[in-house]
Amino acid sequence: MKYRFLLKKGIAVLIAGLLKEFKVYGPVKKDGFPMYGNITAPGDLNLLHSPTHISPKQHLFPQRETLLRFSSGEYPAVEPVVEAEEQALFGVHPCDIHAIKLLDRVFAYGTADVNYLKRREKTIIIGSNCIPDKYCFCKGVNTMTVESGFDLFLHNIGTGFLVESGTQKGKKLLLKYTKTRKANKGEVKKLSQIQNQKKEMFVASINADASTLPLIYSGSYNSPVWERIGSICYGCGSCNLVCPTCYCFDVRDDIKLNLKEGERYRVWDGCMLEDFAKVAGGHNFRKTRGERLRHRFNRKFQYQVDKFGGLFCVGCGRCSRTCLVNINIAEVTNELIEESNKRP
Amino acid sequence: MNLSKSQTNVLDISSPYISRLARIERVARVTEKERLFNLSIEDGKTLGHLPGQFIMLSIPGFGEAPISISSPPDKGNRFEICVRAAGNLTNALHNLTKGDRLWIRGPYGKGFPVQDIVGKDLLFIAGGIGLVPMRSLIKTVLDERSSYGRMNLFYGVKSPDEILFKDELLQWGKAGNINIQITTDKPHPEWKGHTGVVTTLLPPLKIDETKTAAIVVGPPVMYKYVILSLGDKRIAGHDIYLSLERRMKCGLGKCGHCQINSIYVCQEGPVFRLSDIRYLREAI
Repeated sequence: MKYRFLLKKGIAVLIAGLLKEFKVYGPVKKDGFPMYGNITAPGDLNLLHSPTHISPKQHLFPQRETLLRFSSGEYPAVEPVVEAEEQALFGVHPCDIHAIKLLDRVFAYGTADVNYLKRREKTIIIGSNCIPDKYCFCKGVNTMTVESGFDLFLHNIGTGFLVESGTQKGKKLLLKYTKTRKANKGEVKKLSQIQNQKKEMFVASINADASTLPLIYSGSYNSPVWERIGSICYGCGSCNLVCPTCYCFDVRDDIKLNLKEGERYRVWDGCMLEDFAKVAGGHNFRKTRGERLRHRFNRKFQYQVDKFGGLFCVGCGRCSRTCLVNINIAEVTNELIEESNKRP
Repeated sequence: MNLSKSQTNVLDISSPYISRLARIERVARVTEKERLFNLSIEDGKTLGHLPGQFIMLSIPGFGEAPISISSPPDKGNRFEICVRAAGNLTNALHNLTKGDRLWIRGPYGKGFPVQDIVGKDLLFIAGGIGLVPMRSLIKTVLDERSSYGRMNLFYGVKSPDEILFKDELLQWGKAGNINIQITTDKPHPEWKGHTGVVTTLLPPLKIDETKTAAIVVGPPVMYKYVILSLGDKRIAGHDIYLSLERRMKCGLGKCGHCQINSIYVCQEGPVFRLSDIRYLREAI
């Protein structure tokens, strides 16, 4: 049987064990919001059921990350910087595990991105199940459950946790820091009941089969939807910020006051921001917010799918949750589906 | 190295952002806004580029930018870039002089497929600083002049003082190797040549569309009009090559700035066949 049963109080022991080896990040409540935060003691962890406002991507692809240190003067030099430490991401929901699997492909593709990959290599992922809120639509994009991409996965079944090992590393940690026993039939049945109940909890949905979405988006390039949502969008880039699969970045330099040493770093950038596609000569390839929204949505449902396979929208609903003018990615997608159904 | 290892957390792997030092051997004024930099790579190794490729150039503290290579491929460690002062980095670059050093990485991207145009008549259409990457290709094919058919270069500039590489254009033309026509967008008191956008040069041109390759490099607005004119000449999309300009931050197909639909220009371009991108939305 693939599940092990862990008592509720076993989580604190597991965390205490992990803290000996790893920097641990997990869901906490900050100012009333569910967020990913640094866990320094088992009590910090708040295994929340609703999605965190910001995704755990920040711990694999930090908002600001040094790439090089340089010195100028008589003997100019550059030195690569790769900052990675052993870390554990605790309580990662299935949608976010799917997102990390996509980022793994992105950063390994072509010229490997050592900064990401080294960090990834030193990261263990401990997933946990969740309860959808009104923005979640993972069921519609097939990311409600996850079969791989985690070291351990904790299914809360009320009386305790059913633990699934995804890797040998995960199995060893479980053995080292917890006492588990084989899950019994009743417990496994309980889990499938919970999963079936979860399916009925979704408010948001996608009204077409996920595999048809790339084609629907492709056919919706000239839809009036883009101009309409573009007219209310602020172009603030909040959606880029919270999205677990947005990975665009800017590269910049900082120099010390001695003007001799400094560093080159990357920071998150967002395709919704006005100058994202603007060239030195002044031409902006996506001038309007409608064009930029269309680009962002297509990256999730078509462009990156062509390149890497798999929808890049994992249905976490974060962009809709954070949008200041309530542009809702599931609703927009459904509108496009409806339009496409009407096309001959 | 001035920096001690202990200052950083370096692992034994190679970062794609590591750059090579290049020394400025010569700076020449090209126009009011552009300078030509002759660079030598300090490690003595060749850049190993193809015409149409670009490098990521940086001056520490001023950042990095994609810059097209303006010289033909070279076995030695020398190459040239021609840069317009248009932003922080390029303004800083214009303040550098002979002996100063900067950082480069690359070359990146796909260049012009030189072997595919061998034996063909070549029609070069350049707009403004589009002549910069095109110069690398023109010099390459002129080195093997007998391998190609007729050559025409149509070059459009805003005003006569923006004409790049004037002496070289004269020299290429005089040697009878290539028919060069220059046009300015608007009339100018000192300009006695043709006036009008670059497409106005095309109608009188007689070409054999079955053996002509067109190479087009210019500002974004120029492409759709030139493509229409080349369509009038019945040149196949397969024989039309374009170099697309986009914002780039990494050159490695990651940062997302150069993306057109599912294509990263820094990886699959900047040079494209028209037939590959004619229906790519947002490309042209």
